[in-house]
Amino acid sequence: MAARQAIQVGTKNVRPVLSLNAGEARARVLNLYKAWYRQIPYLVKDFDIPKSEEQCRARLKEMFLNNKHVTDIRVIDILVIKGQMELKEAVNLWKQKGHIMAYFKPTEEPKPKDFLSKFFSSNE
Amino acid sequence: MSFFLKRAIGANCHLGRVILNNTKVPTVQRVATKTDQGTPQVETRPTVAKIDPLQKAQLIDFGKYMAECLPKYVQKVQLTAGNELEVLIPPDAVIPILQFLKDHHNAQFASLVDIAGMDVPSRPNRFEIIYNLLSLRYNARIRVKTYTDELTPIDSACEVFKAANWYEREIWDMYGVFFANHPDLRRILTDYGFEGHPFRKDFPLSGYVEVRYDDEQKRVVVEPLELAQEFRRFELSAPWEQFPNFRGNPATEEVTNATEAKKE
Repeated sequence: MAARQAIQVGTKNVRPVLSLNAGEARARVLNLYKAWYRQIPYLVKDFDIPKSEEQCRARLKEMFLNNKHVTDIRVIDILVIKGQMELKEAVNLWKQKGHIMAYFKPTEEPKPKDFLSKFFSSNE
Repeated sequence: MSFFLKRAIGANCHLGRVILNNTKVPTVQRVATKTDQGTPQVETRPTVAKIDPLQKAQLIDFGKYMAECLPKYVQKVQLTAGNELEVLIPPDAVIPILQFLKDHHNAQFASLVDIAGMDVPSRPNRFEIIYNLLSLRYNARIRVKTYTDELTPIDSACEVFKAANWYEREIWDMYGVFFANHPDLRRILTDYGFEGHPFRKDFPLSGYVEVRYDDEQKRVVVEPLELAQEFRRFELSAPWEQFPNFRGNPATEEVTNATEAKKE
């Protein structure tokens, strides 16, 4: 249920997405994290992915911590909503193995950082 | 234009409250049709659709009537392309306006044709949500426009129109506008795991990722895509004119409220 009353973001009064204050938003994030965490054993089994539960948990934590700089309550809410939708897609087996494995990005090469590796990886 | 036609329009304008009315005396209605117009005017633009003055007058009257009925919610009423009625409303007025248009006896816009989205990144509220409605009873169409930004939720129209369900899912998927109280909001067109909203103007044409089959992994893998900077310049204006037939057409006429006009 989206609340009716306005919340303050910065200097403006705006309509909230779900949460009215930072505590509520935090609780939603933790709930989503727990839901994913508890689903991990089933995901590993159902999708038959070549990853252990520990690896999945580490990746889950990493993905949540990627967004730890977000402070706007409404942005947090939208991210939670999107995460909830992803979880539902995984639980209902709408996703396939490739979609789950896309979280791990095994074929992605890390970007070259220093001069020499940039030079080796350049095609020109 | 014949004398009868002028009378018919004049009478219609004075009706005020009875608008989009097709229970008029048949003779008056019949003389107002295009085929009966007395002197055939010289056609300068034969390929462009002609505007029926009677229908236009009725639409203007309905626009004024609506602005009178819901002064709190209607921000502006306008006619575009000569005979398309548009109502501009704030985002929290979606449910009352659509309910009014659906259930009011003189409107009966019972069919939701489409919900469209529009993205103009330069505006403070960058998204426009556009509801196209059709009244089968009065053979009339109306367009309701509202606005929002990336984070402000809009009330779902599902409780008024069942058809809104998939249209709103499409807008959520393509633009990322969140619809509050939607019964089943999830992706509808993009693949599972897809990131981003493709119809946003800042979404690159090539997308953020590319998908290919990997022989070592024995499955499809998703990899981030990097384009050279040259390809990222978007020329949104075409070098040729797309709609030359609409060159001289009236763009937008505002329908002023009758009471406000009197005050001025």
